[in-house]
Amino acid sequence: MVATKIPKPAPGDSTSIAAQYARAKARKDAEDTKVDSIFKSQGYEKPKPKNPVEKLNDRKRERFDREWSWTVGFFFWLLSLHAAGIYFFTKGFLLTRLVLDEKSSCENPPIALSTTFKGAGTHKAGCWHPKTFDRAVVIIIDALRYDFTVPYKQDGALNSEPAQAFHNALPFMYETAIKQPHNAFLLPFIADPPTTTLQRLKGLTTGTLPTFIDAGSNFAGTAIEEDNMLMQLRDAGKRIVHLGDDTWTALFPGYFEANISRAYDSFNVHDLHTVDTGVIEHIFPLLAPEGRDSWDVMIAHCLGVDHAGHRYGPNHFAMTAKLQQMDVMLRDVVKALDKNTLLVVMGDHGMDPKGDHGGESDDEVQAALWMYSNKGIFGRTDPAFVTPPTTAKIRPVDQIDLVPTLSLLLGVPIPFNSIGKPIEEAFAGKEGNAWENLAGAVRVAAAGTQRYQSAYYVARGINESTINTSEGTPHALWVAAGNSVGSGVRTDQVWKDIYYSYLSFQVETLRLFRDLWARFDVTSMALGIAILIMGVMCLLLYANEMAEESLAREDPELEKKERELELDSILKGEVPVYEDDQVSRSAAMAALMGSLSGAIAGAGSASILWAYIEEASMLDMAIAGAATGSGLAVLLSKLRAALPFSNPLPTSVWSWMALVFVISQSIGFASNSFTIWEDSQLLFFISTFGLAAAISSVRIEGKAERALGTYHSIAFVALGWLASFSKLCREEQMPYCRSTYYASATSSTSAPWQLLIPFLIAVGLPSIVKSYFASSRSYEGFAPVWIGWVFRSGIVLSAIFWILDAADDGDWFPRLNGLLKTIRVPIAQLVFAVAIGAGSTVFTYAPPCVSISQTARATSNSSMIDSKGTTVTILGYANAHGSRYLLLVVNVLLAVLMVQKPMGGGAIALMSWQILSLLEILDLNELTASPIGPAVLALLGSFHFFKTGHQATLSSIQWESAFIALYNVKYPWSPLLIALNTYGAQILAAAAVPAVVLWKQQPKKRGLLKNVAAAIAWHLAYYAVIELATTMWAGHLRRHLMLYRIFSPKFMTASMALFVVDIIGIFVPLIGFRLNNLSVAEVFGWPLS
Amino acid sequence: MPLIDPITMSSTAPSPIIKSSHPIELLPTDLARLFTHTHPAILLAAFTLSFPALVVNPVSTLLNSLPPLAIIQASYAVICLPATGTAAKLDKKPKPGAKKEIVPSRAPVTIFYALLLSLLSIPLLTTTQILFGAPLTTHLPHTLLSSAHIALLAIFPLVYVHGSDGKKWREVLSLYSPVDEVFGAAVGAMLGAWLGAVPIPLDWDREWQKWPVTIVAGVYAGYVAGKIVGGLVLRGKRIEFD
Repeated sequence: MVATKIPKPAPGDSTSIAAQYARAKARKDAEDTKVDSIFKSQGYEKPKPKNPVEKLNDRKRERFDREWSWTVGFFFWLLSLHAAGIYFFTKGFLLTRLVLDEKSSCENPPIALSTTFKGAGTHKAGCWHPKTFDRAVVIIIDALRYDFTVPYKQDGALNSEPAQAFHNALPFMYETAIKQPHNAFLLPFIADPPTTTLQRLKGLTTGTLPTFIDAGSNFAGTAIEEDNMLMQLRDAGKRIVHLGDDTWTALFPGYFEANISRAYDSFNVHDLHTVDTGVIEHIFPLLAPEGRDSWDVMIAHCLGVDHAGHRYGPNHFAMTAKLQQMDVMLRDVVKALDKNTLLVVMGDHGMDPKGDHGGESDDEVQAALWMYSNKGIFGRTDPAFVTPPTTAKIRPVDQIDLVPTLSLLLGVPIPFNSIGKPIEEAFAGKEGNAWENLAGAVRVAAAGTQRYQSAYYVARGINESTINTSEGTPHALWVAAGNSVGSGVRTDQVWKDIYYSYLSFQVETLRLFRDLWARFDVTSMALGIAILIMGVMCLLLYANEMAEESLAREDPELEKKERELELDSILKGEVPVYEDDQVSRSAAMAALMGSLSGAIAGAGSASILWAYIEEASMLDMAIAGAATGSGLAVLLSKLRAALPFSNPLPTSVWSWMALVFVISQSIGFASNSFTIWEDSQLLFFISTFGLAAAISSVRIEGKAERALGTYHSIAFVALGWLASFSKLCREEQMPYCRSTYYASATSSTSAPWQLLIPFLIAVGLPSIVKSYFASSRSYEGFAPVWIGWVFRSGIVLSAIFWILDAADDGDWFPRLNGLLKTIRVPIAQLVFAVAIGAGSTVFTYAPPCVSISQTARATSNSSMIDSKGTTVTILGYANAHGSRYLLLVVNVLLAVLMVQKPMGGGAIALMSWQILSLLEILDLNELTASPIGPAVLALLGSFHFFKTGHQATLSSIQWESAFIALYNVKYPWSPLLIALNTYGAQILAAAAVPAVVLWKQQPKKRGLLKNVAAAIAWHLAYYAVIELATTMWAGHLRRHLMLYRIFSPKFMTASMALFVVDIIGIFVPLIGFRLNNLSVAEVFGWPLS
Repeated sequence: MPLIDPITMSSTAPSPIIKSSHPIELLPTDLARLFTHTHPAILLAAFTLSFPALVVNPVSTLLNSLPPLAIIQASYAVICLPATGTAAKLDKKPKPGAKKEIVPSRAPVTIFYALLLSLLSIPLLTTTQILFGAPLTTHLPHTLLSSAHIALLAIFPLVYVHGSDGKKWREVLSLYSPVDEVFGAAVGAMLGAWLGAVPIPLDWDREWQKWPVTIVAGVYAGYVAGKIVGGLVLRGKRIEFD
C-alpha cells in the first residue's frame, strides 16, 4: 500500500528499499531469473546447487507451511466442536416421540362396545364398529390448499382482491358437497407441522402427531414400523394398490400389490406432469369393472399441484391448469366408482403464498378433505353445515382424524397410536341425528386414545397416579364420559351427551399431547450449549492472541535489526534458523490431547454406566468427552497465554462497534419481532458502520484519501440500501412488507424486467471490479483476461440461462420446452466449470497481478534499481497480495451469481461492490487489523442472505436451485447447489475475509498468516455467537407458541450458516491464502519471518 | 492520511487534526448560566406535553411545534452562546485565522442565517434516515419533519457558533471537535435518534411505536443528555476512534 498511496517517502521505506537493493546485489544473476519469471508465469528450475538465499527461502517456506497446517488444524477442530455442540443440542431439542410397538387387534377393542352388532370383532362385519364400506380409493393431491377448493367471488368489502390463478379451478368438490350432501362433504383439513410430505404421510397413516426429528429425512424416507392404517388393512386381508409419489413405497415397503402399483420419482419439482399423467393413466383401468377385482384399497398420490406451487407459486396459469386437470380426473373417478367404494380426496398440506411448504403458517397447514360415496350415508348435525366452510378457520378437522374415520368406515381396528376422533359427517347418518352411531364411534376411538395414553405413560416411566386429575383434565373428562354412558334407557339425547363428553375428552387429550408430547432432553441440550460456549470463547481468545502476536511484531526498529542480521548471515553463507510459531500449534495440540483423553474418558464412563442406564450410547459419550475435553484444554492453554497481559474488553471504537452489533443482535433473537425483522436490523447496522466510516474518513489528513474514504463510505451505505429493495417477505412481516423478489407475492418466477438485471451485471460488475484493481495499478497479469473476459462471459452465460429458464416457466415457446432445458443445464455446467474448475487452476498457478517495466530514469518509489543501473518499476507492487487474492473472490462470486435468481444476482453484485468499498475503507482508515472488517463482512453475508430471496424459514429454501446445473437429483451435487443458493452471500463474504488483510499489502509484509487467521477467527466468531444465541433462545423458549414458526427455524438457519462458513473458511480463505502467499513469495521472495 | 509508519501501517500520531480548537465558552452573563440549565428542562417539558398529540397525529404536531422550537433554540443561542465571529474575543488565546472584529448587534442576523443554513441540512438528515431504513415511498412528511426537529435542535446551535468555518466544520463532521455542550448535545441527539429505532419492530402494538415518534423521542432525550454530559462531564475531551 505504501507505494501508490503515499507520494512522499516515509522514513522506514528507504531502509526496505536499501535492503532490497542490498539483496538484489547479493543475488546478482539469481535475481534476474526471478524477474524474468514474472513474465513467463512459471520460473524454470536450474539444476545448480542452492545458494544461501534459496536455502533461506526454503526454510521460510517450510516454516510457513508448518504454521499454516497448524492453523488449518485449529479451524478443523473448531468445525468438529461446532458439529458436536449442535449435535447434542439438536438431539435434545428436536422432539423425539417414543415409538410404541403395541398393535391394535380386531378381537380386542380398547373398551367393551356400547352396542353389540352381528359379527362384531370380525373383519367381515367390522372390528370395533359396524363397517360401512368394503373398498376405498384414497387420492392425495399434494399441497391441495383449502382455498383452492372453495369458490371465490370478488365482491367489494370482504373479497376485494380479484380472483387469483388458483381460484375456482377445482369446483367439483364444492359442487357435490352442496348438491349431493349425502354423497359428499368438504372440510378444511388441518395438518400438524412440519408440513413436509413424508411427515404428513406418517401422520395420515399412523394417526399420531409427527415429530420434528424426522423433518430432515424427507428425501430418504424410512419404513414406518409403528402400528398404522396400512398395516391394519393388510392384516385384514385387503389388497392395497399404490399409484404416484414414491415416498409411499419408501414408507411401506412390500405393502403394495406388485404388478399393478406404479411409483414415480417425487423430488423432481421441475416436472409437473409425469406423476399425475402416470396416476391418471393407471387409475381408470383399475376402477373399471374388470380391474376392480385386483385390489381393495387404492392409494393414488398426485404431485403436480405441489410441484406447480414450488416452481411457479400458486398464482400462475400452470396452477390453474393443474387444478383443472385434477377437477376432470375427480369427475371421471366419481363416474367410475361403484356403490361399495369410498372415495377420499385430500391435500396432505397447503402451500405458502409462494407455493412452498414445510413450516406451520396458516397457508401451509390448511389442506382440504373431501369424501364421496354413492351410498349416500353422509349427514350433518346442523343443516347449516351442508355448505362447506368459506375459510379454513371454520369447522376444521385435524389430519389425524382421518385414521379413526377410515378405520371405522372400513371395519378395521383403529391403529394403536391414533389419537384422533372420527369425523362427524361420516357417522352422523343421512338425517344428521344418528347419535348412537356417532357416540359408538367416538367412544371406541377415545378408548383407544386412553389406552395409548396409559401405555405411553408406562413406557415413559410416568406413574399414572401422579398425573393431574382435576376438572377439565383428560383424566377427569374420561371419568365423566364413562359416567355419561350410564345404564338406563338410552334416548337420542343420552347418546348425544355421550358423544359430546367423549369428544371433549378427545379434544382435551389432543391439546395436552400437542403441548407436552415429546419431552425435551434438557441435559443433552445443556451439554450442546456448553460445548458451543467453549467454542466461542476459544475462538475469541485465539483471534485476540493472533492479533496481538502480529502487532508485537510490528516494531520498525526491531525489523530493521532483524533484516540486517539476516543479511549478515546470508553474506556469510549461513542460513538462520527460525522458531516455529506457537499460537495455532499450541491450540491444535491442546485440542488433540484434550479430545483424545476426553474421548477415552467419555467412552470409559459410558461402559461403566452401561450397567445402569441402557440409553447411554458409547459413541455419544465418547463424542461428548472429546468435545468437552478438547474445549477445556484449548480454553485453559489460551487463557494461560492471555491472562497475564490481555485486556478482555475492546480497546477501540471499532472493536466496540463490532461487539455492539453482534451482542445486540444476539439479544434481539430472544424476541420474535427482531427475529422477523432481522433484515431491516442488519441494514441498520451496515448503515451505522458506513456512517462511522464516513466520519472517520473525514478525519484523514490527506485530501485525496479523505475524499476517497468518504466516497467509499457513502457508496457502501448507498449500495446496501439499494440492495434492501430486494425483498422476500415472510408471512409474519405482513402487511408491512412487500415482496419484490419475484414477479408477484404469489409467484416464484421472475418478472420480465428482472431478467435484465444479469445483463446489467455483466456490463457493469467487471468494470467496477476493474476500477478497484486499477486504483492500485494492479490490473495487470492475469487480471484483464480473467475479469474483463472470462468473468464477464460467465455472467453473460448466466444471464442467458435465466432468460431460458423464464422462457420455460412462462411457456413462451410451447414447442421448445424440452429443448430449453436441454440447452440451459449445460450452460450452467459450463459456468461452474469456468468458475470452479478453471478458476481454481488459474488461481493456483497465476503470477501476481503485477507488471514490470524497465526504464532509464527514476520514477516513483514503487521502483528499485537493479544491478545494471536501470530502474525497474513494478506496477501493482503495493497491492501484490490483495489483487491476486481478489481473483479467487471473483471466482467464488461467479459461482454464487450463477445459482441466484436474477433479483438475487443483483443483490450479490451490489454486495460484491460493497465488499470492494469495504476493503478501501478499511485500508484508508488503517483498520485492516481490526475485528470490525471481518465482522462487517459477516453482517454483509447475513444481510444479503435475505436479499437473495431467503428467510429464516424452511419454506424459503429455493429447492429448484438443485436443477440449475442438473437434470435430475444427484447426490451430493443437488444439496451442494441448494447450499450455494441459500448461503451464497455468506460464502462470498467468507471467501473475501483474507482480502481485508491482504488488500493493498506489499509482498514484504510480515506475519500475514497471523492476521489472516485472526480475521477468519473473528469472522467465524460472528456466526458462532449468533448461532449460540439462537440456540440458547430456542432452548429457553422451547414452550413458546412461536417456537416452530420463528425460533426453531432461526436456530436451524443459523446453525447451517455456521457450518457452511466453517467449512468454507477452511477451504477457501485458508487454502486460497496459502496459494496466494506461495505465488507472491515465489516472485518476490519471502518476507522476514 | 495521518503520518504512518510504512512498515507497520500503524499511525504514529493518534490525533491527526490540529488540536488548536477549543470548546465553546458560554457568554459570561448570569442569564446565560441560568438559561443554559433551564433550556433542557423547557425542551423536555415541551416534548412531554406534546407527546400524546405526537402519538395521535405526528405530522401536524411536529409541524406545529417547529415555530416554538425555533424560538426556544433561538433564545438559547442569543442568551447563552457566542455568535460566530464573536468567539474570537471570548477565547483567551485568539485563533490566528479567526476574525477579530466584533459587530455588537450581530445576533439577529446570525440567528437568521443560522436558521436558514440549518434548514439546508434537512435533506441531508432525511437522506441519512432513509439510508438507515426509513420508509422511502410513504411517511415522507414524517421523516422530513423529524429531520427538521433534529436540524433545529442539533444543527442550528452548531451553525450559530461556528458559522461557515470550514476547518471547524470538518472537525464537527468527523466528531473530532472538542466536546462542549453544543457539540455534545448534537452528538447526543444523533445517538438518541439511533437508539430510538430500537423499539420500532417490537410487536407490542403500541401507538407510540409508529414512525417517527420513537426517533423524535430519542432525539430529544439524547439532545438533553448529550448537552449535560458534554457541558459538564466530558467538556474539552475529544472522541478518539482508536
